[in-house]
Amino acid sequence: MDRTAFLRQVRGELRGTRAPERPPAWPATPASGSARGPAAVLAFLEALAGVGGVGRAVARQALAAAVTAAAAALPEGAGRTAVVAPDTDAWREAIDAGLAAAGVEPVRPAPDGWREAAAAAGMGITSAALGVASTGSVLIVPGPNTPRVAGLLPEAHLVLLPADQLVPGLEEAMPVLASLADRSSAPVLVTGPSRTSDIEMVTVFGAHGPRRLEVLLIG
Amino acid sequence: MTGAAGSSFRERAEVQLANARMRANVAVAVDQRERGRRAIFDGLDHAGLVGAAQAIRDHTLARLDRYLGEFARNAEARGTKVFFAADAAEAVGYVRDLLAARGVRLVAKSKSMVTEEIELNRGLAEFGAEVVETDLGEYLVQLAGEAPSHITAPAVHMSRGEIAALLSRRHGRRLPEDPEALTGFVRGVLRETFLAAGVGISGVNFAVAETGSFVTVTNEGNGRMVTSLPPVHVAIMGMERIVPSFRDLGLMLPMLVASSVGRPVTAYLSFVNGPRRPGEVDGPEEVHVVVLDNGRSAILRSAYRSVLRCIRCGACQNVCPVYRQVGGHGYGSVYAGPIGAVVTPLLQGRDRAGDLPFASSLCGACDEVCPVGIPLSGHLLGLRADAVRGKGLADPETAAWRAWAAAWRRPETYRLTGLVARLGQLPLARGGRISRAPFPLSRWTGGRDLPAAAGETFRARWERRLRRG
Repeated sequence: MDRTAFLRQVRGELRGTRAPERPPAWPATPASGSARGPAAVLAFLEALAGVGGVGRAVARQALAAAVTAAAAALPEGAGRTAVVAPDTDAWREAIDAGLAAAGVEPVRPAPDGWREAAAAAGMGITSAALGVASTGSVLIVPGPNTPRVAGLLPEAHLVLLPADQLVPGLEEAMPVLASLADRSSAPVLVTGPSRTSDIEMVTVFGAHGPRRLEVLLIG
Repeated sequence: MTGAAGSSFRERAEVQLANARMRANVAVAVDQRERGRRAIFDGLDHAGLVGAAQAIRDHTLARLDRYLGEFARNAEARGTKVFFAADAAEAVGYVRDLLAARGVRLVAKSKSMVTEEIELNRGLAEFGAEVVETDLGEYLVQLAGEAPSHITAPAVHMSRGEIAALLSRRHGRRLPEDPEALTGFVRGVLRETFLAAGVGISGVNFAVAETGSFVTVTNEGNGRMVTSLPPVHVAIMGMERIVPSFRDLGLMLPMLVASSVGRPVTAYLSFVNGPRRPGEVDGPEEVHVVVLDNGRSAILRSAYRSVLRCIRCGACQNVCPVYRQVGGHGYGSVYAGPIGAVVTPLLQGRDRAGDLPFASSLCGACDEVCPVGIPLSGHLLGLRADAVRGKGLADPETAAWRAWAAAWRRPETYRLTGLVARLGQLPLARGGRISRAPFPLSRWTGGRDLPAAAGETFRARWERRLRRG
């Protein structure tokens, strides 16, 4: 249908209606939070554990050991490769050393090789733009250095996030999401592993996306 | 499959009421959901949150034309194509033409009520396309050739045994009656579909006017797959599914998820800002949004506008005593439960689904849990009043109520009705109950006993006691 006609019809049905103002503020929602600093780290780890995710606060020097532990926990039958997104290059040495210690091979595909490599990989490693302390969510922002498939197709997703990038609650993530409208085609807030309870309300992890989600908060 | 036409609520309800296992499954599921909802709002100012969410929805609806225009402009500025569809035929036709133009046969789809409403899968199948539902519950329902029975738990009526049998039959192998194994099996099957599909189709939970973005809300991640892996993504949205800005989502997303599944957020809140940008590694080359009216603009002008606040959380279904007994299929429409009983006659026409507003005890539990403050029981009453006003005085039920009102207005005729009842029940009453009565009272006694009227009236008994006293 012609757009102008469509909107004109809607306008016609609304003639004479007054719009109430939008609320300037609202009470705390189930996703609101107030924790900052070390308290935010604790809140984040607790919330993430509550949805079946794994979170650890690690010092930068201990990053390699944490990567080893994450890779060692790969689900049985998962591929022994890890696709590594370029957005984690700041931690490259620690990642490669950590994976090597667990016997997992790091793979950094060319842009057109990502889908195939990620589908075969046991683990995908990416960074996140921020974390939400109250919910245990991480914001993944696809771009030239962050393929979407890195956190979607492998059996496990390992997320590296500087601990100072936590915001207290979901409301505080919204201005960031708004600002990404011109920078990324599809940001995603990920909270715990993929799951379903469609069969008799029993929770099962790994419905379609990663069965295991681990977040390392780097302090 | 959809549409209330062809059978009445009463007929469908009788079929569903005879299915004891379905009723038990539904009861367990809705109770679990409602417990989660209560727990997560415990200690929070629920009324204050509902007030704020309602204000955002009402504000948006009152300026819907402006926000839709703003959404379309901003989405197009970021490379999304926006199509406005007046009805189901236009929406289905747009998707069909797109499949034809791209030469696509296989479509991966994530759960979307509005695509059920327009019977998109049937429309595309007629055209020769294979549309695969990828939400686990929807996939099972599609395999079984049924309709979803709950807004957010489409296969809630099926047991693990039924699901194992269904999958084993369709895929030619014996699968165990174990949710984890069954889920893992479907994961493998659908992974192939995601990677092979030429088009991904999703719904839209909220669209954001200020940026032309939209968000899908899933736990499984299928929404993310469908919007990321196929080269073309088509999103279909009811035209009311819009918020002015991202800021509003800070309230609306947790209200949706908490009311639906008792969590602050789902596993994937997946945003779309348009097709893959230059330099990005992956993502669809094309993103299309179909904005659907299909009867909604007529609701805007009616007394029932507030039903368009609905964010499809399903909380009203979880507390409804009628839904609990008859399940989603009892309603014979895509939208079931209290919201379905209100919105279906408004969207489909009162002639097709006019009996649904009567499928309610008017207990008002739905009013209390609605996160956007829709006065559902009030609307049900309003739709009933509309239906009765339309019937006229010659209707037997109207005539009977009028006669009753006239008789009870005067003491003599009031006493007479009591006498008639006591004498009339003599051949029917057994042990103080009436289990079988002639038409039209058989409509009552078919499902319940009617207590027999006492042999002596209260007035007579009172006078006897006074005399004795």
